[in-house]
Amino acid sequence: MAIYLDHNAGAPLRDEVKAVIASFLGEEMANPSSVHRAGQRARRALERARDQVASLIGADSRQIVFTSGGTESNNLAIRGIAAAAASRRRIVSSATEHSSVLAPLADLAHHGFEVVRVAPDFSGSIALERVIEKIDESAALVTLALANAELGSILEAAPIVAAARHAGARLHLDAAQAAGRIPIDVDALGCDLMTLSGHKLGAPAGIGALFIRDPTLLAPQILGGPQETGVRAGTPNLLGAVAFGVAAEVAMDTMAEEARRLEVLAASLLQRLSATIPGLCLNGPATGRLPNTLNLTFPGVLGESVLIALDLEGVQVSMGSACAAGAVEPSHVLLAMGLSAAAARSSLRISLGWNTTAAEVAEAAQIMARVWRRVASSEPFAAEALR
Amino acid sequence: MSARVLVAMSGGVDSSVAAAILREQGYDVVGVAMRLAPEPKAGVARRRGTCCSHDDFEDARRVAERLDFPFYVMDLRADFASRVIGNFVSEYLAARTPNPCVMCNREIKFDRLWERARALEADCVATGHYARIARGADGSYRLLRARDPSKDQSYFLFMLGQEQLARTLFPLGDMTKSEVRARARALGLKNADKPESQEICFVPDGDYAGFVTRNVNSSRIRPGAIIDANGNWLGAHAGVHQFTVGQRRGLGIAAGEPLYVRAIDRDSGDVLVARRSEISSSGLIAERVSLVDPGIANEREIRAEAKIRYRHAPLAATLEFVSIDRAEVRFDSPGPAVTPGQACVFYRGDEVLGGGFIQRAMEY
Repeated sequence: MAIYLDHNAGAPLRDEVKAVIASFLGEEMANPSSVHRAGQRARRALERARDQVASLIGADSRQIVFTSGGTESNNLAIRGIAAAAASRRRIVSSATEHSSVLAPLADLAHHGFEVVRVAPDFSGSIALERVIEKIDESAALVTLALANAELGSILEAAPIVAAARHAGARLHLDAAQAAGRIPIDVDALGCDLMTLSGHKLGAPAGIGALFIRDPTLLAPQILGGPQETGVRAGTPNLLGAVAFGVAAEVAMDTMAEEARRLEVLAASLLQRLSATIPGLCLNGPATGRLPNTLNLTFPGVLGESVLIALDLEGVQVSMGSACAAGAVEPSHVLLAMGLSAAAARSSLRISLGWNTTAAEVAEAAQIMARVWRRVASSEPFAAEALR
Repeated sequence: MSARVLVAMSGGVDSSVAAAILREQGYDVVGVAMRLAPEPKAGVARRRGTCCSHDDFEDARRVAERLDFPFYVMDLRADFASRVIGNFVSEYLAARTPNPCVMCNREIKFDRLWERARALEADCVATGHYARIARGADGSYRLLRARDPSKDQSYFLFMLGQEQLARTLFPLGDMTKSEVRARARALGLKNADKPESQEICFVPDGDYAGFVTRNVNSSRIRPGAIIDANGNWLGAHAGVHQFTVGQRRGLGIAAGEPLYVRAIDRDSGDVLVARRSEISSSGLIAERVSLVDPGIANEREIRAEAKIRYRHAPLAATLEFVSIDRAEVRFDSPGPAVTPGQACVFYRGDEVLGGGFIQRAMEY
């Protein structure tokens, strides 16, 4: 059996999710907007799922809009606020955001918005004062990840919330990686919008949600019927929403215990690897990080080779992002932090999750050390190759 | 446990069938596609049928799924840019005519890919080349032409030595192209009838001179004059990189009879043209020569057939080593124009003895 250490890319379906999907497959599926009783049952299931997702972040159910996933949620938040912004033309963000934030921002920049992408420091943290100094009366939106997908670093949001509120700018937090892994309360955080993703929690891909504190602030981006309080037209993905609801509930119920467990496992993995791989580096801040994510630079090897060699030995991890052709590209987050191109090409992301066991971590550590030694001696990675 | 083989896959029919054959023979096949050429710049036509495009990888991926073996894309663009494209450009600037497919085999497929094979614990590397590997009575490895002479690619593989041949597989060497296509259809491969790639993969529009011009600082371009055998000035040209020895078309001069490029002088920028009968040569000096079986270098004079361009018929010749990796190649009877930079490959019948790169035509 393969050892799956790529939960930040997507978690395997949880057993509870499989069970609820299976139970649904026996039911008649109807449109939650339909008047008949089958439609009413569908609507109840959808609203129950909405309650479960809302609970995960301390929101009111009416503030949750189901979407097709984190990418759509980020697009809806960013483009929706930009489209509704009257005279404010600035958007403040960072260089370490997910592509589903960076791409809409690039598009808005092309259409006359002033997009500020604050660079991270060498630990990957976004300097709060550099964000705050950009938030003034011209800012329509501040959009930042609550936890970075590649590093697992957690944003200290409170000072930014205060600055955004003071300037009258909206604050969007991309919590696709943070939700279900660390406690989140949207009221305590004070954000206006928050992105959630189902498949990071063990639901299938294709379902996500956007928390919207006040739907009137945002211009819908998909137009059609009045579903999702008019913010997101289209018949909702009922099966996905129900799966997401269950995954959110399980994550909520097990969060504290899982966080402790994963923290111990991740620390154990890091300690074992550091002991066997001289020069191994942990990227990202030392504290203030998700319990499950390790981003590591393996000295003297191409990450691509290690990734493939590990896969052939049954250990599944990831690196940067995949291009259209399927080749791996170095992480834009690591490059933005100031890692050299060579170091970024030598870095892998290892992310643990609900089905990771201590035995798997011990075995993975052994395999990684062995693979690293073999790759380093077979295919020495010289900076010369990067010219 | 079965031997693991790393199969270089372009997505074309040849490498797909090669992978399928090895899979059927029970090898632990790992398919790899290499990302080599840089993304085409906007404005340059992107043609279907050249290797390394996104679509081609998708086809290779389908083959791997269908035959159930792992498949990965390797990003070797940096190595390709420095070792193949860089060489291509500097050779043209030096008034030589490179063969980037030979360099790609030498520097990428049988060097970089080999390192990767070791990293992935593969016992051998396989490609869809049409060539054969056999073992002699003494156990040494021999590189042979493909059974299908119209597809033979042994010319591109002359640089392989004993160590590499021992761990290389060419599953298509005994097959004809039509057999390969039939095999692909039988396997249900979507790319069974895909057209073959012809152009150099990083110059999809076929305009080599334009590629060189776009990719270097103009100070490195050497313009000059076109001069006939009597020293008469026939015209000016914008750079020596636009010419290859033996070329007739595109000289930009009007003359009463067809004229061919006989020689290019990098330093003066002169392009010397002559009548067809005046460009033939009696031999050449080959450099960076390697032999499949280094043992034959002990023979003082080696009888062989020399192939001085991929599409040329081999010429009966005698080889004499003047140093460890330089050889004089004397043709039995005068041959066609010798093009510096091209590979000169030595055959004895079907067997590849080795080869090198043409430094210059032999002086009379």
